[in-house]
Order: sequence, then C-alpha cells, then structure tokens
Amino acid sequence: MKILVVEDEPEMQKLLTQFLHDENYVVEVADNFLTGMDKISAYDYDCILLDITLPGGSGLDLLRELKSLEKADSVIIISAKDSIEDKVRGLDLGADDYLTKPFHITELNARIKSVIRRKKKDGKSLLIMENVKINIEERLVLVDDKSMELNRKEFDILVFFGMNKSRIVSKSAIAENIWGDYIDQANDFDFIYSQIKNLRKKLRDHEANFDINAVYGMGYKLTVK
Amino acid sequence: MKLINHTLWILSLIIFTTVGLWAFLFYSQLLNQVKTTIDEGLSNHKIAIIDKLKDDAEIPNKDSFQDKSYSIRNVNEDYALQIIDSYKDTLMYSSLKKTSYQARMLTTAFVSPNGQFYEMKVISHEIDKENLIKKIITSLLLLFLFLAISIFLVNRFVLKNTWKPFYEILNYLNDFRLDKRKEREFQKTNIQEFELLNKSVQNLLNKNVEIFKSQKEFIENASHEFQTPLAIGINKLELLAEDQRLSEEQTQKIGQIIDSFQRLSGLNKSLLLLSKIENKQFISIGKVSFDSIIKRILEDFSDYSSFQEIKISYQKEADLVFTMNRDLAETLVLNLIKNAIIHNHKEGEIVIRLTASSLMVENTSVLPQIAEEKIFKRFSKSTNNNKSTGLGLSIVKAIAEVSGLEVSYSYTGKHVFILAKKV
Repeated sequence: MKILVVEDEPEMQKLLTQFLHDENYVVEVADNFLTGMDKISAYDYDCILLDITLPGGSGLDLLRELKSLEKADSVIIISAKDSIEDKVRGLDLGADDYLTKPFHITELNARIKSVIRRKKKDGKSLLIMENVKINIEERLVLVDDKSMELNRKEFDILVFFGMNKSRIVSKSAIAENIWGDYIDQANDFDFIYSQIKNLRKKLRDHEANFDINAVYGMGYKLTVK
Repeated sequence: MKLINHTLWILSLIIFTTVGLWAFLFYSQLLNQVKTTIDEGLSNHKIAIIDKLKDDAEIPNKDSFQDKSYSIRNVNEDYALQIIDSYKDTLMYSSLKKTSYQARMLTTAFVSPNGQFYEMKVISHEIDKENLIKKIITSLLLLFLFLAISIFLVNRFVLKNTWKPFYEILNYLNDFRLDKRKEREFQKTNIQEFELLNKSVQNLLNKNVEIFKSQKEFIENASHEFQTPLAIGINKLELLAEDQRLSEEQTQKIGQIIDSFQRLSGLNKSLLLLSKIENKQFISIGKVSFDSIIKRILEDFSDYSSFQEIKISYQKEADLVFTMNRDLAETLVLNLIKNAIIHNHKEGEIVIRLTASSLMVENTSVLPQIAEEKIFKRFSKSTNNNKSTGLGLSIVKAIAEVSGLEVSYSYTGKHVFILAKKV
C-alpha cells in the first residue's frame, strides 16, 4: 500500500510519515505544490493525504489535476478549515473524505482504511481481528464462524477498534467517530462506557480471542488474549 | 418626510409669509395712492365749484349735500379765516339708498366777490376698503396657489430628476452589505456635488470592503494557523502515549495534556464561528424546520443523556419554520440543548417545547439563577466545568441576532431559555 502525504508543515509531515510506517504503508512525501503535481502525475497511490494550503498553490488544484488525469487514487483532504463550504467544495471536486485538523490519529487511520477498502474492486474484504471476522458492508460479525449480534453502535465501535488494532483509542476519538462532532464538548465521555461494557461482554460470551482494556486516563486498547 | 416634500413645505411657508407681507405693503401703498388721487380730485372739484359760484350774486346756503356733492354755509370772517383745507374720512348717509357709505370730505372756506365768507364741504365717494381687501386677498390666494402648483410641478419633474443620483446612491447604500459586494458604477451626473458624493461613497465603501476582507482573512488565517500546531501536538502525544515504556501515570498525564489541547482547539473553533456569525459570513438562507433539527440532535445526545439519567421531554405543538441559514439554525439548537444537558445534574430534567413561533428549553441544573445580562456574555462561566468553553450561549445569542430571532433567559427554579421570532 502506497500513500502520498502532501503537507508543507515539517512536523506534521514527520509524524504522519512515522505513523504510516507503523501501519506498514509505503510513504512518499511532497512538501509543496509542484512536487505534489510531479508525484501525482508520475505515480499511482492507494491514498493521498492532501493539505489545501501549500506553498506554490492550492491542494484543490492538485485534486483537479488528479481527476483530469482520470486517476483512481483515493484522496483524503486534511485541512484546518472546518467550514461546511470548504468540505462541500473538496468533496465536490472528487475527494473521498475530508478531515479537519486537529484530528485523532486513530480517526485518520480508520478513514484511510475505509477509503482504501471502498476502492477495492470486490469491496467485500473482511476486517479480521484474531478469530473475529467483520463484514463491514453487510454489518455482520462472525466469531469462529458463528455470528455475533451487535447493535449499531457496538458494531461501529468494534470496527473502529478493528481499524486501530495496535493503538490506544481515546474516549473522545470513539465519541466523535460514533456519535459525531456534536458530542465533542460534552462533560465527559463516560457515557460510552456502557456501550463498551456491553461489547466486551458479548466478545467474552462468544469467546473472541481479544479483549478491550481500559488505558487509564487515555481510553481503550485491544489486547490479544 | 421626504426631501422633496420637505423643500416644498419650506418653500410654501416662505412664499406664504412673503406674499402676505407683500400684500400688506401693497394694500397700504395702494390705499395711500387712492387717497391722494381722491384728494386731488376733491381739490380740483372745489376750484370748479368756486369758479362757478363766484359769478352768482347770491350764494344760497346749502346745509345738506342732498343731491349735490358739496354743501355751503355762510360763516363769519373770523371763523372762515381759521379754516385750513382739510381732508378726512367720513360716513355719509344716502337717503336714496338708505345706507351709509364711506366718503372723503374736503372742508374749505372761500370769500365771494361781494365780501361774504363761506365754509364749503366737498365730498367724494371713497374706495370700499373691505372690498379692496377682499379682492387683494383673493388674487393673492390665487397667486399663492399658482406658485405652489408651480413649485410642486418643478419638484415633481425637475427636482426629482435632479436628485435622481442622490436617491440612487441612497438605495445603493441601503442595500449595501460588506460581505455581499455588488459591483456597480453610479450613473454619470453633471452636478458637481453629486459626482463628488458618488466618488466619496465609492472610495469609502472600497476602503471598508478592503478592511473587512483583510480582517476576515486575518481572523480565519490566525484561527487556522492555531489548528496546525495543535494538531501536531495532539497527534504527537497520541503516538507518544503508545510507547510501551511509559508508566500508567505518565500515560494518564499525556491524556490530560491531549484533553487541554483539544479544549484549546474547541475554543478556537468557537471563537472563529462567533466572529464569522458577527461578520455575517453565513449568507445563504432557506426555510428551516426546527422540529427535524431538534429530533436529530436529541437522537445524537440520547446516549449521553440516558447515561446521565436526564429525562428529556420534547413537546411539539407545531413545527417552527423560519427562514435563516441552515447551519446556523443547527448550531443554535445544538448549543441550546447541549447547554441544557451539560449543566444538568444526574437524574435531571429537560423540557423542550416547540410552537409555531417559539422554542423553549427548560432544564434543571446544579447552578443557581444567573443574571440575564451575564448569561449570554462570552466566557461568563458560572461553573468550573473545564470542558465548557463559556461560548455556547454567546453563539446562541449571536446567531439569534443575525437571524431575526430573540433569545431570552429566565429562572423559575429551572433555567428557561426561550427563542422566539422577533416582533
């Protein structure tokens, strides 16, 4: 899997590269408009992380160029601009997703995996976590080939963990991913605890080979038994 | 009062006074002239009578005027000598007409060739003053009416045309919005003042638009520039927290720093939103159904509110449909409901009542009554809840203000917020 990071901020670039390496992607970097243009025209990527404000031009123009070349690269715009008009403009130009800075690493991780999965021809790839198989399209979960019934939120939480297998998933990342941005200022995220408690119970009952454990002060993490 | 009517009014007033004063002068001058003329006539008449009488041997006494226009009375020398020709106004009785009339009378004395002294009074009909005044007033009123009509016509067709550039610029300014620029050239006018006005207004507006733009850009850029380092900080800390070598306590501290950064980012977003609302940068408007917004937000918060065991009852009498910006409407309702949930206590209560003209949100809270002038102020936190930005209700107020809604707060043991259409 090859990912292009078009980002001019060196620190952001560094940490994205590090994180993508950890996730076993091949990473290339462009730190300005022209380099971005060169790389986009010359190579194919599974996913492009695109900043909008770049030295030498706008990321949106790169997106236009990409579309005019009829390339199939998935594009996730990563921008500090969070107005609805900006999002709509980006998506109208053919971006697959739009992520506002600041974001959770786990959220970015999930979004990258989602866009790559959606682009796959069969579209039926299963998310596999130990002895648990998740069919995201059909919203089915199998533990050792036996189906496990989850409600909508439990399912979404499990998928979110599945996409962030080795990472600490913070409560606010879960809340924002499952409940939406609205919830971001709520007092505390303890309310997600009851959903997680139910999910854990179901996983245990179905003898899944992993558990969701609390990381004190941060959130949760998958641990293989 | 319209400018044109105003000038018409003032001009009429001035003309009326001037014409009135002029009429008074005219009248007294005329009257004077008439009197002089009559007096001269009387004097000539006197000479003619005396000429005619001087050949008569005997001049009979004629005490009354009767049919003649003079009277003669024989007087002694002493009396005659002290008579000086004098004119005066008097009332005469006409036995024929049986009415009195105004007359001018000359009293004089003469001596006949035979040495007799006589006093003679000659009268002449005088002009009818009342009639004269009436005639003058009527003609003046006609004159005034004519002038007024002329002024009105001049206003209507000439001045209106002359003032056209002025009204044009007035309309333009009235419709002008800094954020919604309509490029337009003013009509050329050959009136210097209007040309200058056009130019000045154009310059002023251009300058303001520029300042507005640069300010807007500055706020947005500053706010976006904040987000990038915050994003870097948050993401680096998230990656750092995954380091296996960290102790539980260290991980917890990293979590706290991330929370602070996120709070800062939220604050920044809220401030940007506030400034955008106040700069009226949300332009597109459409019909918004508050019912559907409330339902969706309640759904989004349902897990949170049920975890807190907050009882929310939504009473819908009718849907409130209002023409405003959809995103702002959502932000408005979101902040009202969020406020009611966040500042509530466990097992609290929220009542949301929607009518065709208002939305009421009533909630229990741990907080006591808050002064109305304080509650919508920025950062006026009445709680040490560190997840609250202290901007939510300011955003509610700002949105209500730019959208033609009114939000009010009262305390009845519960905190009550009422959003209503502005009357």
